[in-house]
Amino acid sequence: MKSIRRGQKIITLFILLFIAGMCVLVWKIRRESSFYIMNSGTQALGNVYDRNGDVLFNGSGTMKFEDDYLIDVGNIIGDDKGQMTNTLVACNIEKLNNYSFDSGLVTEGGKAAIYSTLDHYANRAVYDAYGNSKGCTVAYDYKTGEILVCTSLPSLDVTKGYEGIADFETGTLISKTLYGTVPGSTQKVSTLAAALEVMGADTLFSKSFSCSGSYINRSGDAINCHKSSGHGKQNIQEAFENSCNPFFAQLVEDDDLPLDGIKNTYRNMGYAVNNDKKIKIDIDGITCETASTTLENSYDFNTQWGCIGQGSTLVSPMQLMMWQSAIANGTGKMTMPCLIDHVTDVHGKITDRMTTCYSDNIFSANTAETIRQIMLTNGSDRYSGSISGYTVGVKSGTAQVDNGKKDNSLLVGFVDDSRHPIAFCILIEDKASSSVTTEKIANVLLDALYA
Amino acid sequence: MYKNGLTYVGASLFIIAAHGAMLLNVLVNGAYSDIKDVFILIGAVLGLDIVYFISMLFYKQMSFAIDFLLIFILNMSVVFQSCFGGVHLSLKHYLTCIAALVACRAGHLLCRSHKWIQEQKKYFYIGIGILILCILTLTGSRSMWIDLGFMTIQPSEFIKPLLVLACSTSVIEQQRKHRILCFNVVYENLILFGIIVLICGLQWWCRDLGSLPTFVAIYACGLLFRICYPKAKFSKKTVVFGIIALLIIAVIAAKFAPGYVQERLHADIWSDKTGTGYQQSKALIAIAEGGWFGKGPGHGSLYKVFAYESDIVFSTISEEWGLLYALMMIFSILLMLAMPLINPARSYFHSSMAACICAAFTVQMALNIFGSCNLIPFTGVTIPFISQGGSSMVTSGFMIGMLSAAQSPVFKKTKPKKSADTPKAGGGKK
Repeated sequence: MKSIRRGQKIITLFILLFIAGMCVLVWKIRRESSFYIMNSGTQALGNVYDRNGDVLFNGSGTMKFEDDYLIDVGNIIGDDKGQMTNTLVACNIEKLNNYSFDSGLVTEGGKAAIYSTLDHYANRAVYDAYGNSKGCTVAYDYKTGEILVCTSLPSLDVTKGYEGIADFETGTLISKTLYGTVPGSTQKVSTLAAALEVMGADTLFSKSFSCSGSYINRSGDAINCHKSSGHGKQNIQEAFENSCNPFFAQLVEDDDLPLDGIKNTYRNMGYAVNNDKKIKIDIDGITCETASTTLENSYDFNTQWGCIGQGSTLVSPMQLMMWQSAIANGTGKMTMPCLIDHVTDVHGKITDRMTTCYSDNIFSANTAETIRQIMLTNGSDRYSGSISGYTVGVKSGTAQVDNGKKDNSLLVGFVDDSRHPIAFCILIEDKASSSVTTEKIANVLLDALYA
Repeated sequence: MYKNGLTYVGASLFIIAAHGAMLLNVLVNGAYSDIKDVFILIGAVLGLDIVYFISMLFYKQMSFAIDFLLIFILNMSVVFQSCFGGVHLSLKHYLTCIAALVACRAGHLLCRSHKWIQEQKKYFYIGIGILILCILTLTGSRSMWIDLGFMTIQPSEFIKPLLVLACSTSVIEQQRKHRILCFNVVYENLILFGIIVLICGLQWWCRDLGSLPTFVAIYACGLLFRICYPKAKFSKKTVVFGIIALLIIAVIAAKFAPGYVQERLHADIWSDKTGTGYQQSKALIAIAEGGWFGKGPGHGSLYKVFAYESDIVFSTISEEWGLLYALMMIFSILLMLAMPLINPARSYFHSSMAACICAAFTVQMALNIFGSCNLIPFTGVTIPFISQGGSSMVTSGFMIGMLSAAQSPVFKKTKPKKSADTPKAGGGKK
């Protein structure tokens, strides 16, 4: 009898294993069925809304919009046509589908929707402020991580389709906020962070270097300053405000700041140094490039040039803005950005709600607090007139692109106001041909967000 | 049940009602161009039910539970198969279902007496040998199929019940150990090991590895019974060693598998949904489209995909009838396999036979369902009784007959021959 029971045990085992497999299968099918349907070619998409309920994408295509009404968010919201792949809609299209395994595909009256964190009004104001210029602006709440403004020019009105796509200007179909650009002197924020991490604030503030307009480094190469007559002898606060290249070249050469120390800080901040593998930043499915630079020898021109924010150094405006949150919060931890506030399913039930996340420490809280003070001093000393009415900590930059043929203008910073904790990064391409300045854009941005 | 006529009639009526409900659904919601097709289907299904219930009365059995479940499943599959792509009786499937019922009866009658079947042991090995020879000589180049023009036969399917019988009848031999060098060896174990190696090699050579896990499951189940006999308790060390050895073999096999197998092992069906992932992606989409309650009989679109009626039949049924119905269908088959738990086998032979059959069926269903739904690599095996395929249907019917025999065994002593030297050594005594 015992031996017969053994047979029953084996039968039970096989049946239970099979049932367990079936349970996994049913769970998998229920969980992934929306994805399957998206691949079937039959779908009923819902809408994407801004934070005030304004429609940014109409899944059914039945709504009528004024011409270029959605152009300010065209290349970040995107559409379902498949031309743009790194957009909110393309990366979250399953969430928009009015389908559930229980109720099937609901072609009419489905309530699947994405409620984004974007402020369409502020986006539009910033977009319009660019006029004929090109570039991008990204701004977010550095306490919560909600991206409020993310506009990139040139852009497109997705409701008009892609006719004449071959004639579109370069960069029309991407949000430039997500891709690497030469950061110019905004890179000095990173170099300052590295110096503070390695030396400490007291040692750094005790150091002073002279600028005569050009500095011949230890390898015999010249590092020129934008002020040809030079800045004279400066400490770190003055050099930061002056954005003095020779000072920072000498700082990088300084024996108290070994290159490995700079590399470590850069890596903690998310740079791919030399041949490091690039790790992408994920923002609600959208991929953002991480920073990269080449640091080989403290005395080498390219290394110094990279630490000043030129040459091979590339950082996305999004990441420049994220670093500002670590400074503005005074914690050394970045607030991770997000574009989706919440998602509703086909029945209107909230299925996914944003939660604020922070990175690990990219530098210490002390370093963050010191940079914060330096940037706020810079803001009050240099920008209180041009960005009026706001207590801002900022750093500007001029990036040489196209082999020095063109200069891009950048401005990174934050507002020191707990009611409107805004961090931002503004980029204007080819500033020589532009009638607008980064400060002007910053004013428009903050005015729109404070409105 | 046989003695209780009321229960027999009640169960019969219940099954007729269940099929009737399905057919009503076809009539109301089905996709058909001519209502005559529906009535032909109704006549065929209910007719077979009634004929089967009447004919079963001529057999004396302790339990009819498996027989009832079998006709329930078979006619359910007739309705499913007849609705794919529009309602019309699938005559081929209907005939193979009848063949399965006949095979079931044959399996039942042949396997009722463990003593008699023990005496026929040599024929199982001969049968396996003949079938392997058939595969080597009669099939096409490196193929598992014999093409007769009007139909094709898969001889490897018929090896399954023979292997089950060989494994089950070999258990008693475990007491007859022979000393070779320093090892205690049972000859039959070596023969069975040789057979499974031969079958694996054959499957490998024919590039048809789909049925391999089924054969291995039967063999492993038989082996488990053999290594535990006569200790009356599991030898844990041996079992653990066996599992580790099996895993190592599986890893090595996966590493050195031929290109077409590697392709399936590492396929991303969604990135290649028009190529290698075509069937699976379509199958999953069909399940998603069907939802819990399906699109309705004949309203599916998966019938346009190759092997919709066999390899991905679970999805085809889910699309038209809903996942809930497909799960109920699978549950019915499981219930049939679980019968030995309710009505235990009466001998060690029947017990090991039932376990081997359960192993074969569950592994085969798992390969089909989990493979078509992309949980495991996709293999072209069938779901017993549900998928189309004559060889599979007859074999499955025969094996269920064997399972049924374990429910209603006979213990009559075989009449000793007048000139018999010695009676067989009481293998059935407990």
